[in-house]
Amino acid sequence: MLHKIQAEKFGSRGEGMAHAVEACVHCGFCLPTCPTYLTMGEEMDSPRGRIFLMKEVLEGNLSVDQAAPYVDRCLGCLACETSCPSGVRYGHLISPYRAYAQKNRKNNLFQKTFRWLLMESLPHPGRFRFLLQMAVFSRPLQGLLPRMLRSPLSLLPKTIPKEDDLPEIFPAKGDQRARVALLTGCAQQVLAPEINRATLRVLSENGVEVVIPKSQGCCGALAMHLGEVERAKISARKNLEVFENAGPLDAIVTNAAGCGSGLSEYRDLFHGEPEEERAKNLFALVQDVSLFLHNLGLKKPSGWPEPRKIAYHDACHLSHAQGVREAPRELLRSIPNLILMEPLEWEVCCGSAGTYNLEHPETADLLGQRKAKNLADTGADAVATGNIGCLVQVRNQLEKTGSNIHVFHTMQILEEAYRNGA
Amino acid sequence: MVAESTVFLPAEVDEAARIVRENRNLRPRGGGTKPALSSPLAEEHVVDMSKISGILEYSPQEFTISALAGTTIREIEDALAENGQYLPFDPPLATAGATLGGTLAAGLSGPGRRRFGGIRDFVLGVRFIDGWGNVVLGGGKVVKNAAGFDFPKLMAGSLGRLGLLTEATFKVFPRPHSTITLEVDCGSLAQALTGINYLNSLSIDLEALDLIPPGRLYIRIGGFADSFPKRIKRLQELLEHEGRLLENEVESQFWEQTKEFSWSSPEGFLVKIPMTLAKVEKFDEAMENYGLARCYSSGACLCWVAGKDSRHLPDIDSFLHSLDLTGLVLRGNVDYPILGAQKGLGFLRRIKEALDPEDRFLSFKETISESS
Amino acid sequence: MKDRAALIKDLGRIFPPDRLLDSSAQLAPYESDGLTCFRSRPSAVVLAETQEEVIQTVRWCYQHSVPFMARGSGTSLSGGSVPVADGVVIALNRLSRIVQLDPVERTVTVEPGVVNLKVSEVAAPYNLYYAPDPSSQQICTIGGNLAFNSGGAHCLKYGMTSNHVLGIKAVLPDGEVVHFGGPSLESAGPDLTGFYCGNEGLFGVALEVVLRLLPKPEFFRTVMAAYDSMEAAGNAVTRIVSSGLLPGALEIMDRLAIKAAEAAVQAGYPKDAAAILIVELDGEKDAVESDYIRLSALINETGANTVIVARDTVERMKIWKGRKSAFSAVGRLSADFIVQDGVVPRARLGEALAEIERLSNIYNLRVANVFHAGDGNLHPLILYDGREEGALERAEELAGKIIKLCISMGGSITGEHGVGLEKKAYLPEMFSPVDIETMERVRAQIDPKFISNTGKMLPGGEAPALVIRGLHPLEKEGILSRE
Repeated sequence: MLHKIQAEKFGSRGEGMAHAVEACVHCGFCLPTCPTYLTMGEEMDSPRGRIFLMKEVLEGNLSVDQAAPYVDRCLGCLACETSCPSGVRYGHLISPYRAYAQKNRKNNLFQKTFRWLLMESLPHPGRFRFLLQMAVFSRPLQGLLPRMLRSPLSLLPKTIPKEDDLPEIFPAKGDQRARVALLTGCAQQVLAPEINRATLRVLSENGVEVVIPKSQGCCGALAMHLGEVERAKISARKNLEVFENAGPLDAIVTNAAGCGSGLSEYRDLFHGEPEEERAKNLFALVQDVSLFLHNLGLKKPSGWPEPRKIAYHDACHLSHAQGVREAPRELLRSIPNLILMEPLEWEVCCGSAGTYNLEHPETADLLGQRKAKNLADTGADAVATGNIGCLVQVRNQLEKTGSNIHVFHTMQILEEAYRNGA
Repeated sequence: MVAESTVFLPAEVDEAARIVRENRNLRPRGGGTKPALSSPLAEEHVVDMSKISGILEYSPQEFTISALAGTTIREIEDALAENGQYLPFDPPLATAGATLGGTLAAGLSGPGRRRFGGIRDFVLGVRFIDGWGNVVLGGGKVVKNAAGFDFPKLMAGSLGRLGLLTEATFKVFPRPHSTITLEVDCGSLAQALTGINYLNSLSIDLEALDLIPPGRLYIRIGGFADSFPKRIKRLQELLEHEGRLLENEVESQFWEQTKEFSWSSPEGFLVKIPMTLAKVEKFDEAMENYGLARCYSSGACLCWVAGKDSRHLPDIDSFLHSLDLTGLVLRGNVDYPILGAQKGLGFLRRIKEALDPEDRFLSFKETISESS
Repeated sequence: MKDRAALIKDLGRIFPPDRLLDSSAQLAPYESDGLTCFRSRPSAVVLAETQEEVIQTVRWCYQHSVPFMARGSGTSLSGGSVPVADGVVIALNRLSRIVQLDPVERTVTVEPGVVNLKVSEVAAPYNLYYAPDPSSQQICTIGGNLAFNSGGAHCLKYGMTSNHVLGIKAVLPDGEVVHFGGPSLESAGPDLTGFYCGNEGLFGVALEVVLRLLPKPEFFRTVMAAYDSMEAAGNAVTRIVSSGLLPGALEIMDRLAIKAAEAAVQAGYPKDAAAILIVELDGEKDAVESDYIRLSALINETGANTVIVARDTVERMKIWKGRKSAFSAVGRLSADFIVQDGVVPRARLGEALAEIERLSNIYNLRVANVFHAGDGNLHPLILYDGREEGALERAEELAGKIIKLCISMGGSITGEHGVGLEKKAYLPEMFSPVDIETMERVRAQIDPKFISNTGKMLPGGEAPALVIRGLHPLEKEGILSRE
């Protein structure tokens, strides 16, 4: 599309935004994979519609507040990037646009407080655990709360898992084939500490020594998605330093897709700033654990005595944002007696999308139910996925439908497949 | 008051246009092979198009042919055959002398429509004289075209009541190198319909699939003869019947007779009835009770009904109404050739008003009147 | 315009507030379809969910003389779904029920908002599918396909949309509801169903469509053959067509189009080829195998340098994915381009391509070619840089030359995208004033107030067509703006 955006007015990332608008030919191929278009059926709630709206705002024809309801409803799943034949980098538009919009909008006080609460809790495992415990105790009272606060509570586990104090170094079994650092993920280590444990065991089984830097912090993805750029940069600077000081590394592995793409976004976050070079170096090392293991060459697991059907659920931040689709499937396929099932609409978001299910519970529910149905229809015994957000969302949605399909992280499935042989 | 019918015999399109401008109640005629459509009633005049004839453009590598309306189907088929091509909708009554314009205006296709579609699917362009006396072009001469309103399709089945066709362009296909037909007697109508339903549901390319009640199926395949033994064997296995093979002369004779309706009496009536598989049994039972001859064509999407006495036609009309079916009388004594339920008259009336507001041509009616 | 805004509020009697869109942010995304050089803003967009709502909206528009346009997914490449300025857009994408599927008669009755590919999906359990396959089939709707008589790669053997529509229920622009056609493949009397197809939205809104389903071909042979020159690929098409083979599809892509498709979807096309030919045989296994022996001999004789034969569905889909993404993929080579849709007689394809190349050099604009070679349906994609002064005008002039070339060769100005806004200025080159007057007369009987997608297809009147140079008349009036 032609546009009249004056890119220089929007700082270092203005050019990227303008490019994304230019590249869009308005063909509509993004519509069928966009979760909001699928559920709402309105042009404003589609990728090309949002591109049009953001263009109008950046050109000065619409105000930020006029466009806000529709831009806010975007889950940022980036399925549109995967389906776009013209190669529009939607992420290069929506992220900086949100940062721009955040500064220029009239904010709703309730929403502002809610977001502040999220940013002050989720990225801090200690506070988050405390809050969760409080919440679990107060569960009987949740009927008294406003809807927006009720929905996060419904996502809570029944009990809060015990904290798992990970060592700073997890040694490789047998000959060491590689040395990596692990990003532990803020919410994940509180909600499902067993995922990190499983990841460490699988890596170790494959001859990989893992460093777990104690002082690492939140990757900053949450702040980035809420348009809080400065807050995100503080987290990012800290992590740059921590991982630079972690010794020689073959990779920085992530096992939460959202965090993985968060680290990958540092490059764009610091575009045109002094940290840009360091962010690029970090980016070169970041890999999802599934991709890392696939490239390394997985040691064959022993698998199960009986066949098991496992459906793979693509986390958007893995499949669309990082383009990792085949590696986790290949890992799972290499497990003897595992039959990999493919759900319909693999590309459609489950509605988790970072904090989306907290902020837009109705849409998130619609998407979650759609996903649960597609997964259940595969006839699988269990679901494997690569992201804590999806894991919680899909597990809850499946439970709601009365299904007894369990949801695991891909690493948990692998760990079990190794354990069976031991 | 009964006025004499005049027969106009224009030699040129301009002359035909003048006739249209100067007269009313005109009934176009080509080869006259469908008398119920071409014979004038009282106060009607015939425009005989047989002199406006000849192939205008035929380029075999384009797989298209344009000809004047009065050109006989036979002439066109002969020209196409020289280049191994054919009209895939398999027009009927070619031997009897049907013309291109008459076949299009009647909207008729033969048993070969099973494979690729009917006449409406193959007409690309038309030229016709509308009720204002204008010569109007619709469609084009290339195989694919989406410009302007689709007058070519509108003219298919228009019965000469929306305009006088003067020229038409058709898409043609390569003729199958060889053909062979399997005749299978399924024993009963129900069995035969089950067989048709089964064959319809498979991706098997049949050139024709006709049913003669109660249970005889005629299954024609085409292509390179080296593929026939395997394909015939498969059909025999699918239907669980050995059947009988029709080949060469015998085969082409059989289909020729089918297309010429040799099984019907030339003095009696002949009706075309668009059909659906689900309605065949009920329909057929009634026709059997009337003692009428039937042939279900192209996987039973079409039925031809013939009988000796036109007095049956009002019965057929009301029976068609009850089944929500429509019929077109090609031979037989009727005032109005369409029987049964007519769809879309509200839309058709507007088109008629636009193309022929003064009724230069005959009009469309709601119901059949008594046979004379 | 203030009066119109007040009037629009009255639509609230038919639609709840969340389905009556009238704010700037809600209307802006509806301004364009797949052809972004035209934009125009409606007064309102209504999101219809029932047929009754559509009927009431059309009657309301008729009563108040407000123009309307029915919109599916807005993927038209001829500007066919650009709103009528200040009119009402009736969005049909939510009117998408599968009314009935009859596996015995092999028909399915759908509402207009059903997506093309969805029809094949619901038919799949019965081993049936819907044959017309426009490249945008994963999102374009049946209503839009019907209005523009859409084609696709498999037209050669299976025909266009109108060859697969058996019956229609529609509301005419003055509010009368009509039914015609039915479940049978045959009909008696004028083919009203066929005539309604391709009306470009001028005959009101289709509410229910009976579509014909075909048994899924049991076997495919999909071949991708690369050639050193366009001429060689063109000759191969002529040889294949005249050999008596009837492939399901016969497509050509040139060097630029190959490059774009490869960048977009990695279809595995040889990047150094001057042209590739995609041929697909489909049908009964034994017949296809027998045809395939002849096809491979022909491909060898015509000097293909690389030949890839799909071994399974995955490989077949990969070959097709490149072809079907080609238009949008060209966006990777140039942000701005014009898609053309001319038809030439098949035997003159080579001549037409040579002339397009010559024009491309004269205008100093790159042209990528993707086309349905078996049908002679060209899709030249004219690449230009919208930021360069006068480039759009040059591109439009070149597009006009190509259209006129098609007409002069006895072809058509559109094979499958329709006339829309984009080509209405060229309709008089193909049809005489009398022909067009006749179309106008028919239209006037069907739409006496000229409110149904007015300004499309037929030249003259209320919304003049795209002009070759300078501002569009509507742009001068400030009604329309080009991005």
